[in-house]
Amino acid sequence: MKKAFFALIFFTSLLSAQEKHTISGTINDVRNGETLFGASVFLKDTSIGVVTNEYGFYSITAPDGVYTLIISYMGYIDIAKEITLNSDKKLNFELSESSEQLDEIIITSEETGRINIKKPEMSVAKLKSETIKKIPVVLGEVDIVKSIQTLPGVTNTGEGSSGFNVRGGAVDQNLVLLDEAIIYNTSHLLGFFSVFNADAIKDVKLYKGGIPAKFGGRVSSVLDVRQKDGNSKQIGLTGGIGLISSRLAIEGPMFNKKGSFLVAGRGSYAHLFMGLSEDTKDSKVNFYDLNLKTNYKLSEKNKLYLSGYFGRDLFNFSKNFKSSYGNLSGNLRWNHIFNDKLFSNLSLIYSKYDYDLTIESAEFDWVSSINNYNLKYDLKYYVSNNFKLDFGVSGVYYNFDPGQVEPTSPTSPINPLKLDEKRAFETGSYVNAEHKITEKLTAQYGLRYSTFSRLGGQAMSNYQNGQPVVYNSALGIYEEGTEIGTTSYKKSETIKSFGNFEPRLGLSYQLTQNSSLKAGYSRTAQYIHLLSNTISVTPLDVWTPSGKFIKPQLSNQYALGYFKNFTDDVYSLEVEAYYKDIENRIDYIDGSDLIGQNNIETEILNGESRAYGVELLLRKNKGDFTGWLAYTISKSEQRTLGDNVEGPGINDGDWYNTPHDRTHDVSLTGIYKLNDKWTFSSNLVFQTGRPVTYPNGQYEYEGLSIASYSQRNSDRLPAYHRLDISATYRPNNKPNRRWKGEWVFGIYNLYNQKNAASISFGQNAETGANEATRTAIFGIVPSITYNFKF
Amino acid sequence: MKTYIKIILTIIGISFTSCTDVIDVDVPDAPPRLVIEASLDWEKGTIGNNQTIKLTTSTKYFDKVINNDVTGASVKVTNDNNGTEFIFIDQNNGEYTTTNFVPVLNQSYTLEVIYNNEVYIAKETMMPVTDIAEVFQSIEEFDGDEILEVNLKYDDPEDEENYYFAKFRERGDLLPELYYDSDEFTNGNRMSLEYSKYEDEDINQDEFKPGDIVDIKLFGISKGYYNYISLLIDQAESDGGPFSTIPAPLKGNCTNTTKPSNYAFGYFRLTQVNTTSYTFQ
Repeated sequence: MKKAFFALIFFTSLLSAQEKHTISGTINDVRNGETLFGASVFLKDTSIGVVTNEYGFYSITAPDGVYTLIISYMGYIDIAKEITLNSDKKLNFELSESSEQLDEIIITSEETGRINIKKPEMSVAKLKSETIKKIPVVLGEVDIVKSIQTLPGVTNTGEGSSGFNVRGGAVDQNLVLLDEAIIYNTSHLLGFFSVFNADAIKDVKLYKGGIPAKFGGRVSSVLDVRQKDGNSKQIGLTGGIGLISSRLAIEGPMFNKKGSFLVAGRGSYAHLFMGLSEDTKDSKVNFYDLNLKTNYKLSEKNKLYLSGYFGRDLFNFSKNFKSSYGNLSGNLRWNHIFNDKLFSNLSLIYSKYDYDLTIESAEFDWVSSINNYNLKYDLKYYVSNNFKLDFGVSGVYYNFDPGQVEPTSPTSPINPLKLDEKRAFETGSYVNAEHKITEKLTAQYGLRYSTFSRLGGQAMSNYQNGQPVVYNSALGIYEEGTEIGTTSYKKSETIKSFGNFEPRLGLSYQLTQNSSLKAGYSRTAQYIHLLSNTISVTPLDVWTPSGKFIKPQLSNQYALGYFKNFTDDVYSLEVEAYYKDIENRIDYIDGSDLIGQNNIETEILNGESRAYGVELLLRKNKGDFTGWLAYTISKSEQRTLGDNVEGPGINDGDWYNTPHDRTHDVSLTGIYKLNDKWTFSSNLVFQTGRPVTYPNGQYEYEGLSIASYSQRNSDRLPAYHRLDISATYRPNNKPNRRWKGEWVFGIYNLYNQKNAASISFGQNAETGANEATRTAIFGIVPSITYNFKF
Repeated sequence: MKTYIKIILTIIGISFTSCTDVIDVDVPDAPPRLVIEASLDWEKGTIGNNQTIKLTTSTKYFDKVINNDVTGASVKVTNDNNGTEFIFIDQNNGEYTTTNFVPVLNQSYTLEVIYNNEVYIAKETMMPVTDIAEVFQSIEEFDGDEILEVNLKYDDPEDEENYYFAKFRERGDLLPELYYDSDEFTNGNRMSLEYSKYEDEDINQDEFKPGDIVDIKLFGISKGYYNYISLLIDQAESDGGPFSTIPAPLKGNCTNTTKPSNYAFGYFRLTQVNTTSYTFQ
């Protein structure tokens, strides 16, 4: 094994040309023992430094001498320690928060400070302790997914839609990881809340581009969410009571303080939403979730982690319609420190998403699911002060069960039906180097090689001329191809396999002490796809693997950025421009029917998409008033020519807007700390309206006025804007009192703007006249939440 | 079944909706197209030789007065097997009629319309329909309310793929309620369609009461027409909510052989139809 490591280090500096030694260790929070990810550890007045990894581990190597070692982490008090380096040292540090406050999550685009301006990492947004809770949110529910939407380049399809869109990408192009487990649906209650319980989350990192080689499988972004380990010092209780839901988390030491645990639960109150609407007062809509985490320190060099998540949404409409769905995931991890320079982690991960729908009056039950097992091994080698290497391998086995229909009674008109189960295996292996080439130029370069095998165990249809979709030139429409029998594949057979090299490159050039230029390129491959022909992704939409008819999506992204800290790091400015193109982005044909479709290839055509834009983020990081202004100007469009299928392509072969194209997106967030008791914040959002398709005429047919429609997504909803405010009140919290409480008062959509979530066109049943109906989801919504910690 | 899934998605979608209102919207304006409503419906048990084809043109979406009947066109239908031609006579009100049409089940026919020197052609087959097994009323419980609904049951033939189109209209109502169904999930079984109405003050709509009469038509349709009418119904009834289907251009089977891009809206369909009515007790 070790041989392999040394083989990998092909051009590291000769390790001990001059007498050098290494300091390594972990950085924790003094209060609860949580490891800190992204803390800076550096030697004062040198350029030598690192940031801690996901497990709080660091390692720095320097020539022998006397130094001041500084450990800093935003929101915490710096530690400075004189050290004499003449032997390898193991030093663990505990930082204390700069002011007593409840655990909160802050958004920082990147930690400021001398290390990061140099770091070739760009297009990254990091969320950590302090502010998410201060951003006003609808109904007082702290929400990570909503908070990242206040950053440039991140939007969603609108109120009441699931997921988020990064740099013009689709929802399914985001890799969402909760403690490394893939989360397939990030939303509760159709996007009103995210599946992440802020009380159980330690930190969140969103890669909008420049995705490191260790991640793969999605072409737009990676949202890396990590759960807290649990307080290893003492038992603690955190909770909140809100209008929509309540939360409770308990954490504490275990195994004689060799480990710790965290259990967090959250549930919404049933009926609540339904009470808002007269028509549905007897129905129930609610969600709950449960987060678990525990860890055990086997020895100084070995640590085990076990984490789990279970969440569910339930919709009951009278006794007739029942629907439930949710994610389940678990991860067992083994951290092993080989030596002061080599850190490793082995993870065994399971995740599942399933959907269940029962309709009593139609007497059937519909279930579908996707699940995967994932084994991965990641290593980080701190070769020298100028060179760090990440490398590893992973394998994911997927099982897709797109749908099973069962009659629920003997008299049911529905016949049992099972759509073909699909299986696939995805692998990834990568090497990534962070290389300080000169004092001013740092590079991050890596290569990922991914493979994907669509496994047998099913039959696949064959089509005339190999075309599942054909163009009917007489009628000018695309339709199903002619099936000419099927081919059965044994479980041991592979239907189709793919392999892709995915190079990644990041460069950072330090212009001055406080500013830098960064550039990045990344190529990424995505092998599984979520296709939807509805405006919003529905919980029922089914993931489809690449295979005989569907090719992997391949993306190239180029980004260029300017970063500057000024006025003593009080302000920071980030400007980034990006361009990305994606090959093999499929889209559905006009009039496609995806429900219960076993041969999804007969409903889609192959195409491409592209997105480009400029993002600006100006932040004030220090003082009583903090906040940020985010502005994005961008374009996201696609074209679906259908490869070798005849015909003009979707939308006559022209480029058309993707549903998440937003020309302008402005978000202004301000937080003002009046005194120790009161903090005020506000959030102003303005966005270009979502692309939609409007009617361009009408005609009479079957006694109805039928609309004819214009080109796909060629019109737009009116611009979306709103202002939210909130105030946090902390009653006399004496530092020595264990019970700490706070009240959060909020008003969402203060000026009661009726933003159109959609505009529908139809005929008034009384007058017969056509009319446009606007649906607005939230008007002004006040909220109150009480949070506590014990 | 698909209809049910679409319904539940609609319900989930609207359950969060706190507010809807009618607003003014500027919509694009496409040039008018010919609309061919060539529905040769053959009432089961009749000779079926009186048939009407309606020609109009499309208008601006918000135009309230539709005065766009097409006159002066020539319309004929040909039996593809024996070449018999049925000429439809211009009634100068957009309607073209014949009294000597001879319907033959599973026979293919060709429609030819000549309008403004452009020739429109469509081909379609006369589809049979299964009998209505029963029509009865029941009580639907929805959110605590008990409302009357009418049930239409029919037996799906097992040996073939079948597609259905149904029309319910309460006497006195302005607009019909259209349904589509297929035996994809229900092959060989007794199939069912239900129609009920909710109280809605905005459009002056009431629930069904004893004495109300509903006219019902059940059509057997071709797969091509099913694809067309299902999309048409979905789009006409779309609430625009988060899970509604993204609208798409709707093309029927009437092609313009003179100028292909100038295709006609509408459809040439030949269907057998069962007609009945139900009076609520």
